[in-house]
Amino acid sequence: MLIRFRLNGETREIDVAPMRRLLDVLRLDLRLTGTKEGCGEGECGSCTVLLDGDAVNACMVVIGQCDGREITSVEGLGSEKHLAPIQRAFVTDGGAQCGICTPGVLVAAESLLRRNAAPSDEQIREALAGNLCRCTGYERIVESVRVAAVERATLARSKTSNGSPASQRGTKSGAPQ
Amino acid sequence: MTIADLSSMLFDRVRDLSALCTRVGELSDEGIPFVLLAGGTDWMVEQEMREPLASDVFPTVIDVSQMGELRGIRLDGDILRIGAATRYLEMRRHPAVLERAPLLERMARDVGAIQIQARGTLGGNIATGSPAADGVAALAAFDALVVVKSRRGERHIPLSELQTGYKTSTRAPDEIIVAIEIYLPSRNATWFWRKVGTRKAQAISKVALAAIAEVQGGQVVRCGLGMASVAPVTALLPRTRELFLSTRLDAIDDFMIDKCVESDIQPITDVRSTGPYRLHVAKAVVREFARSLGAA
Ligand SMILES: Cc1cc2nc3c(=O)[nH]c(=O)nc-3n(C[C@H](O)[C@H](O)[C@H](O)COP(=O)(O)OP(=O)(O)OC[C@H]3O[C@@H](n4cnc5c(N)ncnc54)[C@H](O)[C@@H]3O)c2cc1C
Ligand code: FES
Ligand code: FES
Repeated sequence: MLIRFRLNGETREIDVAPMRRLLDVLRLDLRLTGTKEGCGEGECGSCTVLLDGDAVNACMVVIGQCDGREITSVEGLGSEKHLAPIQRAFVTDGGAQCGICTPGVLVAAESLLRRNAAPSDEQIREALAGNLCRCTGYERIVESVRVAAVERATLARSKTSNGSPASQRGTKSGAPQ
Repeated sequence: MTIADLSSMLFDRVRDLSALCTRVGELSDEGIPFVLLAGGTDWMVEQEMREPLASDVFPTVIDVSQMGELRGIRLDGDILRIGAATRYLEMRRHPAVLERAPLLERMARDVGAIQIQARGTLGGNIATGSPAADGVAALAAFDALVVVKSRRGERHIPLSELQTGYKTSTRAPDEIIVAIEIYLPSRNATWFWRKVGTRKAQAISKVALAAIAEVQGGQVVRCGLGMASVAPVTALLPRTRELFLSTRLDAIDDFMIDKCVESDIQPITDVRSTGPYRLHVAKAVVREFARSLGAA
């Protein structure tokens, strides 16, 4: 079946069996191996990608359901030369150790920050509750997301700073991510 | 692990609900197994866990996740209608849910984690029919109606008449779950949600209680209870409910509550918890609900 979707900002059209998992199509067909498989059953979050902006587990989505939709994998967050704020923060603030959980955590965190520019620690923990990490003990991950939020806000200010007031949009606290 | 079977399965999409009814009817006539795929958060796990299938029993998979008639949330007076393919995350974000049915928002927040909430639906929760289903427990508290449709037409099944035993129901296999309708309690009604699991996220309930009550002058005039993981079906705690409806709040004490809960459920011991612990927690959460209403 011919399936057409936007992937990391580009339109893609592929001919694949529609019941294959999005995770396998990304890794095996499209060679985007940033998205990892841990449990294969929705528990660990290492396969997290954005589907129309929301964090989902790519191991539970079949590719046929992605027709006409927008997908962002970890490769779509930034490039090796230009890391996204969330990626930079994980490097500078120790959010990654062995790294197996990291792509999924980055994508889940990115999804949070797009909806909530200044999340509380509790909101960060809730948004990442579906991502298991065996190494960091989570403190460094939460810290990295906090740092990324500040950097994103600074970037947003510098982009809008040609005369107009700084736009620092905060989402109402308690609003779901 | 049998994910390999997936690529051999047929994947189908239909134009609208009426075409879906026809298609499902035809598949039933021909004896071809089928699956209505919504979020896949139950069904995909089943595929991962089961033994490989013989190729002649591969189901036809029909994607319902994007079907307009199965999606969306609508408030019509005091009736809240939620499409069966509406995702938990949409419920958490919808103003009508936040304002008029905060119990649903609170329940949805406790389903799995954000990735599960971004995919999972009430239709899937009801159809899977697990006694641990958090969504079904919350709908039970509202005495919700389940709107189902097939070639034979549409009907409304009261939640209390849906489940007949462990994962069995009065819904025919070719009846598609279209929506859930809730007659909302008054704005000042009390609602209650308590989920007890091994950890905060990604945990299947050991016990969960959803409850609502309307109180007038010290007397409960509307009450609904739904408890997960304490019986083969979602427990409606009829005797406990009757206690609330028949006795003034200041005359209800812990002893009366315990007696009613004990006669309503006989929870079992399984991998997640023990029968005695479940009964202990069940009584504790009902007492807590009673206290939130102002009982003795
Ligand atoms: C990691 C993880 C955590 C979870 N945590 C929780 C939790 O905390 N609480 C909880 O209650 N559940 C939990 N679940 C289970 C699951 O997410 C829910 O039951 C969810 O509501 C299922 O919805 P779905 O759309 O994903 O169903 P699907 O998997 O798409 O479908 C499930 C079944 O329902 C049928 N179906 C779907 N839609 C319809 C319809 N409209 N009409 C008729 N039949 C239909 C399908 O054919 C299939 O047989 C969890 C699952 C995972 C993987
Ligand atoms: S691999 Fe998808 S959630 Fe673990
Ligand atoms: S860094 Fe090793 S699992 Fe998270």
